[in-house]
Amino acid sequence: MEIISDMLAIVQGKNGSIKPTHLMYKANLSHSQMKLYLEELMIRNMIKKEEIKTGSMIAITKNGRDFLLKYNQMREFEKTFGL
Amino acid sequence: MVKIVLTPEWFIGKDIMIEVFSVIVLMIFVILAYKYYKVNHKRKIFYLGVGFGLIALAQLATILTKLPLYYDFGPANQVGEAIVTSNLASSVDFFYYAGFFFHRFLTLLGFYMIYRLPRDRKSIGDYMAVLYFVIISSLLSKEIFYIFHLTALFILILTVEKYAWIYKENRFFNTKILMLAFSILALSQLAFVLSDIDILFAVANAIELIGYSILLALIIRIWKYGKKKKPYGDNIRYAGNSAGKKRKH
Repeated sequence: MEIISDMLAIVQGKNGSIKPTHLMYKANLSHSQMKLYLEELMIRNMIKKEEIKTGSMIAITKNGRDFLLKYNQMREFEKTFGL
Repeated sequence: MVKIVLTPEWFIGKDIMIEVFSVIVLMIFVILAYKYYKVNHKRKIFYLGVGFGLIALAQLATILTKLPLYYDFGPANQVGEAIVTSNLASSVDFFYYAGFFFHRFLTLLGFYMIYRLPRDRKSIGDYMAVLYFVIISSLLSKEIFYIFHLTALFILILTVEKYAWIYKENRFFNTKILMLAFSILALSQLAFVLSDIDILFAVANAIELIGYSILLALIIRIWKYGKKKKPYGDNIRYAGNSAGKKRKH
């Protein structure tokens, strides 16, 4: 879950869309790992692939933003109570 | 002759308002805990919500018991103002004792759950022993009102000590706020011990209000934090320009 939230945070941090290779580099994942997580995120409708002239981009969806918001709050909550 | 409520006449109603406020704050914690439990399915978060929920129920029990007592309707018709003004009652309905018993019992149980949560070692024996003392304290407080407040004070002091240790480890500002809120709630219990003096009853309620207000401020802080834009999340895997600093190997 931490990896998923980090990937979403990275995409959101890049104004909502990022190149797959950049995401792989920034999230420090191998190609196979990233493929696996991207599939998971797309199944959950948290990210979508967008085609542009220079290739494809990974974009965060509303679902993804909502999840990230909830996840950040949850982490803060857990940390506060030392759980 | 036993005292039912210690509320001074001039404070009637104000104490209920403070209790309503605390129920709202506690219910927000319950809702948040349940919401976050649904995200990560951690049992500790769920039990934390149950802990706050028990205290909220306890406050609700006292509100529902005080309302007919203060405003002279329902079961209070026979007893009326006399209870409040003279603090005396010869034959008091089971309703009042049940209401106040649940208030004491659920409060102590809720505080204990919150205190116990961050610990790893647990045994059924521990729980049984605590349950026994919680019930004994709640029952005895019918005759000696301050037993309940002393027990709550004791649990809250242990909770503050626990969060002081957690703060020492995580140096997290929110934990410090939480520690402060529990310290103030402990202080309010100390004031409640002496609350047969009219003014101290009001002071205890005011301190309790401050404690719950700090908890509300903490909720707002947690809620706002989630909205902050964190370009790289909490990640330790981020391999940006200063990868060397951020990676943990």
